[in-house]
Amino acid sequence: MGLKGHAAIVGSAQYKPEKYATAPRMFHLEQVADLAAQALRDAGLQASDLDGLVINGPQFHEASVFVPAMAAEYLGLRLNFAEVVDLGGCTSVGMVWRAAAAIELGLCQAVLCVLPARMAPMGPDEDPSWMARAMRFGGHSTAFGAPEAEFDLPYGHMGQNTGYAMIAQRYAAQYGYDPRALAKIAVDQRTNAQYNPRAMFYGQPLTIEQVLASKKVADPLHVLEIVMPVAGGAALIIASKEVAARARKRPSYITGFGEHLAFKSPSYAADMVQTPIGPASRRAFDMAGLKPADVDAAQIYDCYTITALLTLEDAGFCAKGEGMSFVREHDLTWRGDFPMNTHGGQLSFGQAGSAGGMSQVIEAVTQIAGEAGERQLAQCDTVYVSGTGGVMSEQGALILQGA
Amino acid sequence: MSNNKPMPVPTEISAPFWEGLKAERLLIQQCNQCSHWVFYPRRHCPQCLAHELTWREVNGEATLYSFTVTRIATLPDFADEMPQMLAVIELAQGVRINSNLVGLDESEVKIGMRLQPVFAEVDAKGTRLLRFTGLDKDPQALKTLPAAVEQPAVAAPSVRRIALDDEAALQALVSDTFSPWSNQIVVDQGLIDAFALLSGDDYWIHTDPERARKQSPFGGTIAHGALVQILQSRMQLKLDYEITGFSNMVNYGSDRLRFPAPVPAGSIIHSRARVKRVERVKSGTQMTLELNTHVLGSERPSVINELVILYM
Repeated sequence: MGLKGHAAIVGSAQYKPEKYATAPRMFHLEQVADLAAQALRDAGLQASDLDGLVINGPQFHEASVFVPAMAAEYLGLRLNFAEVVDLGGCTSVGMVWRAAAAIELGLCQAVLCVLPARMAPMGPDEDPSWMARAMRFGGHSTAFGAPEAEFDLPYGHMGQNTGYAMIAQRYAAQYGYDPRALAKIAVDQRTNAQYNPRAMFYGQPLTIEQVLASKKVADPLHVLEIVMPVAGGAALIIASKEVAARARKRPSYITGFGEHLAFKSPSYAADMVQTPIGPASRRAFDMAGLKPADVDAAQIYDCYTITALLTLEDAGFCAKGEGMSFVREHDLTWRGDFPMNTHGGQLSFGQAGSAGGMSQVIEAVTQIAGEAGERQLAQCDTVYVSGTGGVMSEQGALILQGA
Repeated sequence: MSNNKPMPVPTEISAPFWEGLKAERLLIQQCNQCSHWVFYPRRHCPQCLAHELTWREVNGEATLYSFTVTRIATLPDFADEMPQMLAVIELAQGVRINSNLVGLDESEVKIGMRLQPVFAEVDAKGTRLLRFTGLDKDPQALKTLPAAVEQPAVAAPSVRRIALDDEAALQALVSDTFSPWSNQIVVDQGLIDAFALLSGDDYWIHTDPERARKQSPFGGTIAHGALVQILQSRMQLKLDYEITGFSNMVNYGSDRLRFPAPVPAGSIIHSRARVKRVERVKSGTQMTLELNTHVLGSERPSVINELVILYM
């Protein structure tokens, strides 16, 4: 069952994260075309090679329906496979395996996966109410009949922070809580960002004391344990083995994946601290015939430090409840014995909407291709990547391997 | 209290739950086929997808599954509930409910603690939310929120008189610690409209509640920053000193003026101050007073004003 590992990521593109206020505004169609051209250049392929497209449906500026057809028309693509993915921060991981599966089924040979995440220019008569709602309620629906509109919002449960905070509090009650270990995740990743000039926090090292002295948002989360939203956008090209053979750089073959989701609010999880990344990662490792100990690096979705901690445990890098001692005992930097989020993670790179998760995929591909510059790992053939959407409600895992 | 808080809009499916709360009864559904208890209300059982669910009254026996205390309000409208105690409650029937804890001090809250329901009245229409408190608290007393504008007892600090020529005493006023809070005032739509008329700034974000509710990122109208700044005159600062021995005192302006957080219409505000700097200048003695105005319960100031007072 599963992938044979005949599809690979052969190219990528990613806007440098920028503050929303100063980032260029571009239509999403324009960003898609721009990112596609950059990713094709990176892969050494032509637009005519593309015959598949995976794109975001939600938050696409110029349309809420018929997005793939509109994008195919705008880019001049002829597609045999088109797909929309709606998995929040897990979207990128979800795009990669869907593209790989379509290629292995023989539907297509090269797929563009793209997530525009810069703001679009505002039209003169545009009704900004959708944006007002999005800013006010985050990922919470306000639609009539939406359970969260009726049973969460009136109590002040909204956005992501408090959900993650409650998961962390429950974890603390069951396993104890070492705020310094959690802070160290952010600090080690910040060290990595000092070797990545494209990271938002390049040139700004961080200490555990600074994390713990930063403002608390919702107990026990400090502001420096939470990602900064930025403008950006990213794209990947996934190709068949045949196309990968003529690509410019070392391809990253997709040899395993898993995906799991069962709720939107973690309040309704069977057990709030056993996260969906557990079953997703087990499936990914089984499919690739590997164990967690076999990977050279882990690019772990890190919207919050607690997300990274629970992923380390539930994906099997350490036992349940031992995440904090794992973090204390390992150097998580690119020079360390457990290289994790070698680009800085989203905590230090910046989170460009749902494209934030693509930064983890792109870092894996960059390391496997040996193009990570100063932070290049001495050996990098096998990388674990995770994606997390909502409040640890939709999660996915990938195993990527250099040939 | 802000009037822009999101309120539940019952559906045909959920109405019995909300009607139950109004009657101070807790009703949840149970599946006739597999006996699974269900929350939130649905037409189908999420265990077996059977259609037959029955509303049953339960006694509200519950434990705390998890919680967080917010240090920044999840919406500006919740500033009057700060710090918010957001909680996941597990009823004895096994269902979980997103809710709030009330009437509990932070130090009393422990995951696993036993709780009882509070049928909290939240608007004039009789809408009630299902909140929870400890077993040793009186849920009846927590049903209605304390009246928002409850002026704290005015314990006037003892005032020290400081002569303008006493350099050491003047410098000793400089402090990182703020004074106690001033009296509170309500910034309602009437006040905002009056200021719009006076200043000519009648931008819709301040003056059109209907449009602001739909289009503003704040979900309702907000006060002009300048209005909140000048409302300072209505708030008596609790300063513990009085300067004497000058012939004239002038408001020389501001070194820094910022409006970091919105003041939604209907908010209660109050302010406090500290002496930031005292300097001798050519024309006299210049004191910089950092004067911060906050929405009640909000840690983040709505106005930061570094006011310069010149004593001559």
